[in-house]
Amino acid sequence: MYFPYRPTPVKIKYPESWPKPIYNFDKNPLTQEGIDLGRMLFYDPILSKDSSISCSNCHLSYTAFTHVDHALSHGVNDSIGARNSPALMNLAWHNSFMWDGAVNHLDVQALAPISHPAEMDEDINNIIKKLKGHSTYKESFYKAFQDSTITGEHLLKAISQFELTLISCNSKYDSVMLKTQVFTLQEERGYALFKKDCSSCHAEPFFTNNQIENNGLPIDPILLDLGRYDITKKKTDSLKFKVPTLRNIEFSYPYMHDGRFKSISEVLNHYTNNINLSNTLSNKLKSKIKLTSNQKVDLTAFLLTLSDKNFLFNNNHTFPINLFFNQKKKSNLKNKY
Amino acid sequence: MLLCNLNVLMSQNINTITLTIIPIIQNNTVQISHLNKDSVTIETLKFYLTNFTLIKSEKVVWQEMESYHLIDASNSRSLSFKFNLRKNIEFDEIQFLLGTDSITNVSGVLGGALDPTRGMYWAWNSGYINFKLEGKSNSYPFEFHLGGYQSPHQTVQEINLKTTNTSKINITLNLSAFLDQLDLIKTYKIMSPSKDAQRLSRILATLFNILD
Repeated sequence: MYFPYRPTPVKIKYPESWPKPIYNFDKNPLTQEGIDLGRMLFYDPILSKDSSISCSNCHLSYTAFTHVDHALSHGVNDSIGARNSPALMNLAWHNSFMWDGAVNHLDVQALAPISHPAEMDEDINNIIKKLKGHSTYKESFYKAFQDSTITGEHLLKAISQFELTLISCNSKYDSVMLKTQVFTLQEERGYALFKKDCSSCHAEPFFTNNQIENNGLPIDPILLDLGRYDITKKKTDSLKFKVPTLRNIEFSYPYMHDGRFKSISEVLNHYTNNINLSNTLSNKLKSKIKLTSNQKVDLTAFLLTLSDKNFLFNNNHTFPINLFFNQKKKSNLKNKY
Repeated sequence: MLLCNLNVLMSQNINTITLTIIPIIQNNTVQISHLNKDSVTIETLKFYLTNFTLIKSEKVVWQEMESYHLIDASNSRSLSFKFNLRKNIEFDEIQFLLGTDSITNVSGVLGGALDPTRGMYWAWNSGYINFKLEGKSNSYPFEFHLGGYQSPHQTVQEINLKTTNTSKINITLNLSAFLDQLDLIKTYKIMSPSKDAQRLSRILATLFNILD
């Protein structure tokens, strides 16, 4: 008799004070097998045309799942793209993805970097062909979806399942909110400044309002990136970009959609001194932000409390050596030598 | 007399309908070709027909479940499909959408005909390509990828066709009439949601007809 494989259901954990996720888990219920498969795919460069680039190349777990030291990410053949790679966390609470909000559902986001010629430059049908040549993947797909025929739908849903587990909610800030820790006086002052000047766009608890805003960045004359306008062709969307999260901001430099700022102090200087007035400027920035140097230091001290070492160094987020390499085979080698 | 009665009986006991789409160019069924010997060559023709409904006296009498069909002129099996109904259904009109409804476009990744591996999904701006036509007219290439579900550039079209109560419904799509209404020198490439994509979708919706 044949018994179908029954995967192990998984529930994401998040603070009680947070709202319910937007992502519809009924259409893609989390299972350990689905998460494991998604994690393998996230770290496997087989997704790219020449097997050189995996998701993790631009989304590194130790640096908030973004690409540090690179204003613009590079893909196959060292091609340079037009935008900075966003940090990935708390994605179940997002209703749009990419700097221009062009992607409306997490499950279809991976299609964008997969097919972009400067990123992975691959066709999803080709990925499926490549995966079908690996018995490990056929087995993993079967365990996750009770179907060993690898489909585009299952491939994308598996990647989503892994991404949905990337939850950052254990920073010092979170402990302070739970009253298990207290801010230093400096961090406390910074938090007050934050609530006054920054939280209208970078709203707690996700430190983004998930909206598209023009934050006064002058247009880069080479990249000529008009943000959401390029998607909707509406003049009112010119120079608007999705508000990124500030969680783990200590580790996700450089900053802004094109990575033009290397440090937090450059960002703060932009907001106090260099806002470009245009008719699509966010109305939340219409009044000038004034901060003394001491206040900027306080604000920076607060922003550093958003770093979450549990998230950054979580062993469930890193390269899954145990999923790619059979442990049994490894121990045989040990005995041999 | 007997034959007459048999015909009456048959039309009252339809429980399976075979629907066939017949794309036409220059009075012939479209043949996908890359050879460019005729004045018009069709290299790709793919489009979604969804949400099939049968109507009698303006009331809905049947709706297809999971109604998504990807018509691909390079795959003759995709041109024809069956509806399984309860017996004794009577209808005088068939209704369907050219393209996908807006909910389908915001529901993430779907399977079957809607699987993004079918080459009818925009990776860079979430949403389906409702109608894809690529080819050459007098050696000048054209590429129409018509899609978009957000206001004001929605491209999905509702089509209503009067039909007799029959177990075989044949629907033609006149692509010559479509190309004739375009100035191919001005408009030969559409690759994103736009007013033009909407305008061309509206034109296409008028070119579906029942073949008696």
